Amino acid sequence: MVVFGTLGYRPRSLIPTVRSTPSVEKVVFYFGADKNEPDAVRKVSEARKDVVDFCKSMGIAVDPVELDDPFDFKSTALRIRRDIRKHKAAGKEIAVFNIAGGTRPTSSAALLACILEGVPTVYVHDVTYEEIHLPLLRMEYNRILSGEEREILKALIRNKGKDLTEVELARLVGKHKATVNHHLRNLVSKGALRLERHRVDSRKKIVTVEESTELLLGDLD
Amino acid sequence: MKVLVSTFGGDDPEKVLSAMRHIPYNRLVLVGEKGTERSEGFARLRDLEELAGHTIEVVHVECEDFLELVDSVAEVLVERTSEAGTKVTGTVTLNISGGSKILGDAALFAAFRVGVEAYHCDSSVTKLPVLKGASAKDMFTPAESRFLTSVGSDGARLDDIARYVRAASKQSVERTMRELKKAGLVTPELRNGTVFVKLSETGAEVARAIRACPSRD
Repeated sequence: MVVFGTLGYRPRSLIPTVRSTPSVEKVVFYFGADKNEPDAVRKVSEARKDVVDFCKSMGIAVDPVELDDPFDFKSTALRIRRDIRKHKAAGKEIAVFNIAGGTRPTSSAALLACILEGVPTVYVHDVTYEEIHLPLLRMEYNRILSGEEREILKALIRNKGKDLTEVELARLVGKHKATVNHHLRNLVSKGALRLERHRVDSRKKIVTVEESTELLLGDLD
Repeated sequence: MKVLVSTFGGDDPEKVLSAMRHIPYNRLVLVGEKGTERSEGFARLRDLEELAGHTIEVVHVECEDFLELVDSVAEVLVERTSEAGTKVTGTVTLNISGGSKILGDAALFAAFRVGVEAYHCDSSVTKLPVLKGASAKDMFTPAESRFLTSVGSDGARLDDIARYVRAASKQSVERTMRELKKAGLVTPELRNGTVFVKLSETGAEVARAIRACPSRD
């Protein structure tokens, strides 16, 4: 069993989850502070040491992951999701993800990764330190997007930065332009991509994937 | 009507300002705890909105219970979506960066539940991977949705569920039950020779989420 968590100033927001989870083999936690605030750096470093010491004394493997920028929502979400998937691929069972500690963007990014990966999540109340288990609903977008829509999104991500027009995209996925146009309209209305005017030929539209689709893609594999 | 709904804590107007700069809107709705209107941050936002001839709508929420908070934010989103209308120009967009950690996380959860376009606006702006209009309801077939919402908090007899969902046959409602059991959402058990169905913890959340979704009937 692996326990994931986010850590801020208070080891007490993470350690109770390690204690209340049976058969923990490993703890992975994310921490980080604004480098321009020495006080924050010191407090976070102390909390990190406390959690590492606790795990070591319990004979539990521990992997403290320092985030370069704990206020960068997107890179934190991508990093956490990648790590979750890596552990799952290695056959590890993720018992729970404690999202109580750390900066607000770190906590929200962790929650997002848990929703997309279907990982059980726990929150620890700020005052009572009571553990609140969140009954998460996994958002499996492969049940919402059609096969053609997923194929188009995959093709666009693979060719990111190429400024594809509708016609070029249709050629790429081997479908009729009208078919691709229909799916593109649906994907635009869902907010997964947008159509932008071509820089040279204003009659053409460039199909651009929203950055958020990158976060979504894990489900499209 | 373009409605911008943002979480707000009183002392973090910069995050709401970032959302106001990046997301087009006609009306601003702030979701926060009681007393946020007395903050300097709110006064700053109010003054800015007044310059444009608008007022800010404030919705108070209790930040004690996470799931109740999710329900409250989801309710705000569903109501504003219905008010904004179904035309292309009618949109509701959510920013989750303001306010306390629990409020932001609950708002993120609510965005996924009801399928509202959402952002995290701070020094950088991140669009969240919520598909517009793709709510918790879309994860299930209509028969599964009806089945889940027909099981109350104390559970229900399968025969009663079949009547409630107007199942075409006993086999079809049993098939739906098996699918939901496989997904870990219901637990059937035999009581005095009758099949009795209870929702699992996740099943209860799914049922809440489906009930909270805007109706498309």
